[in-house]
Amino acid sequence: MPRSVKLLVALLIAALPAGAADPIRIGVLYPTSGSGAVFGTPAVLGHTMAVDEINAAGGVDGRLLVSVVRDTKLKPAAAAAAAKELITKEEVHVLVGGLSSAVGLAISEVARQERIVYIATIPKTIQMTTTKLHKYVFRTAPNTDTEGRGLARIVGQVQARKICQIQFDYAYGHDLAAGFVKALPEEAPGAEIVLDLKAKLGATDYSTYIAQIMASECECVASGLWGAAFITFAQQARPFGLFDKAKYISGGEIASHEIASKMKGDYPDNVWSNAYELWYHAQSPLHKGYQEKLAQLQGRPYTDSWPVLSYIGVQFFAAAANKAASTESDSLVAALEGLSIETPVGPRHIDAQTHQANTGQFWGPMQKVEDYEFRIMRPVTYIPGD
Amino acid sequence: MFANPAFLFTQVLNAFSLGMNLFLIAVGLTLIFGVLRIVNFAHGAFFMLGAYICYSTVQWVGGRGVAFWLGVAAAGVVLALLAWGVERGLLRRLYDRDPLTQLLFTFALVLILGDAAKMVWGTEQYSVPYPAGLDRAVDLGLVFYPRYLLFLCAAGPLVALGLWFVLARTRWGRIVRAATQDREMLSALGVDVTRVYAAVFAAGSALAGIGGALAVPRLALSPGMDATLIVECFIVVIIGGLGSLWGSFVGALALGFVTVFGAVLLPEWEIVLTYLLMLAVLLWRPWGLWGRPEAGAAE
Repeated sequence: MPRSVKLLVALLIAALPAGAADPIRIGVLYPTSGSGAVFGTPAVLGHTMAVDEINAAGGVDGRLLVSVVRDTKLKPAAAAAAAKELITKEEVHVLVGGLSSAVGLAISEVARQERIVYIATIPKTIQMTTTKLHKYVFRTAPNTDTEGRGLARIVGQVQARKICQIQFDYAYGHDLAAGFVKALPEEAPGAEIVLDLKAKLGATDYSTYIAQIMASECECVASGLWGAAFITFAQQARPFGLFDKAKYISGGEIASHEIASKMKGDYPDNVWSNAYELWYHAQSPLHKGYQEKLAQLQGRPYTDSWPVLSYIGVQFFAAAANKAASTESDSLVAALEGLSIETPVGPRHIDAQTHQANTGQFWGPMQKVEDYEFRIMRPVTYIPGD
Repeated sequence: MFANPAFLFTQVLNAFSLGMNLFLIAVGLTLIFGVLRIVNFAHGAFFMLGAYICYSTVQWVGGRGVAFWLGVAAAGVVLALLAWGVERGLLRRLYDRDPLTQLLFTFALVLILGDAAKMVWGTEQYSVPYPAGLDRAVDLGLVFYPRYLLFLCAAGPLVALGLWFVLARTRWGRIVRAATQDREMLSALGVDVTRVYAAVFAAGSALAGIGGALAVPRLALSPGMDATLIVECFIVVIIGGLGSLWGSFVGALALGFVTVFGAVLLPEWEIVLTYLLMLAVLLWRPWGLWGRPEAGAAE
């Protein structure tokens, strides 16, 4: 992975001119190889961008930020081992990152044992901030309850009554389904799930599920198949006429530019989905500045949407370290609880009890427009977190 | 759900197209075993290479029409050449060794080719759309069904009949069949048996490559796709009887139906069902449905 090597070297060089004060060491955990790298690599980029900005402005409390990046390979065991190594050998003051709910839960467990603050920037399973919540874990990503409610709200907006649901058979899929079902009576009264399908994570042949959806009476498919899985699913489902028969409403950020630019003209009709950030939807000056910088780093005006998650994670940590004027875990916890900051995609606040940031997502239909060979979300609605 | 004839019909077609795709790949494995008496673990890796070669050809040529078919052809040709090289350069030195050495050799190929594929194509997941002309659905009265999957349904039996014709009715086929019966006699009759071996290994591997290329639009490409497939292929040939053409046809169909209907009826048992099927066949007929008792005992 030459790019990740390049990033590592850049990070190491950034670490060189450490001034008089001891630098603050951040343990960074994203998948930079394997199937998660498509999102993990942009996430590392967003992280680096935030750290560079803060260091350029003099660091936190006069101390520079130093990142130590480790590859989680999208595997909980690898992530847990890397997290332990970061704490014991690299003596990091904080852990940030995680991608995939299973990985997030694994890192969180290490953070609990080692009493080190972990800021989860991407994992969404609700368990992290409910049943498995502990003092040292904070989440700046949205959670599956927020996403499930967004899903339910769109179902209500398009006035679908009969719903087929297809989710992945692992923590994220289960929790998103639970969040969706919980919100459905309020957001889409009268709607019912007539078919509930669970696809294996990593499945590549969806024909049996597609056949069941085609044979059902549903007007809408609610889903959370994410990443490359959606691309595969869509390619197989389109010839069956699935996207003509039913509206496809999905979590899993398949409205993000990463997916839209990959699929281009193959992106199916009738898709409503969500994204963390959209380059064509920069509203505030802060967002515009963020956009320009990211475009420069990525070398293209149409930027990826995942960097914003890791960027916000660093922002929160820096704000907390500044407020606490310390990198000691308990002071960081006290500072993070109830902390409010301004991010490129709007103000964010971490709840003191649940340790969950009120991060929401942008939702809307994916439309063909002139000028672009890929689809964009239009109109864009922000559905906030609790 | 099964009261719905449209659903039942779609699932039967799904099972059939999956089975036929499996057959195209597994028949190469059974052919190689029949003649060379080698259990080729690398067959799955050959399948994966075929799929990646097809993907790269589509990317390189571009477009939706002829690119895909060029990819299928390229997969067949490259795999045939590769297999020929492997057989002539390496495998033929192992015929006199015990089966364990041969197994180790083909397993080593799996690891080498798997890592080579990761180096060339990375670890991302790719997909390729259905080729032009076959990318729409066709109205079958009861349901709309993707043309490409119907094409797979037709390709399986056609390949089976073609292979049967070659094996049963041509001089080449007679030589291949003779090689399965008695190599020494064949050699004494003046046939260069080593070339027969190389040709069969190349042809069987080309089938794996072509089967992989044809599987590309109905699957997604990712490293590790060979591991799942080789297990399925072994189940197919074990059910059908090692070395038997029609056995692998029936075995592939059985596996297709169990996979598809298992996923609907007993989703929690989906993974186990195919193994249960194999177990049941092995208990009932240890030599497989189409195999002969003595064929069950490999040399």
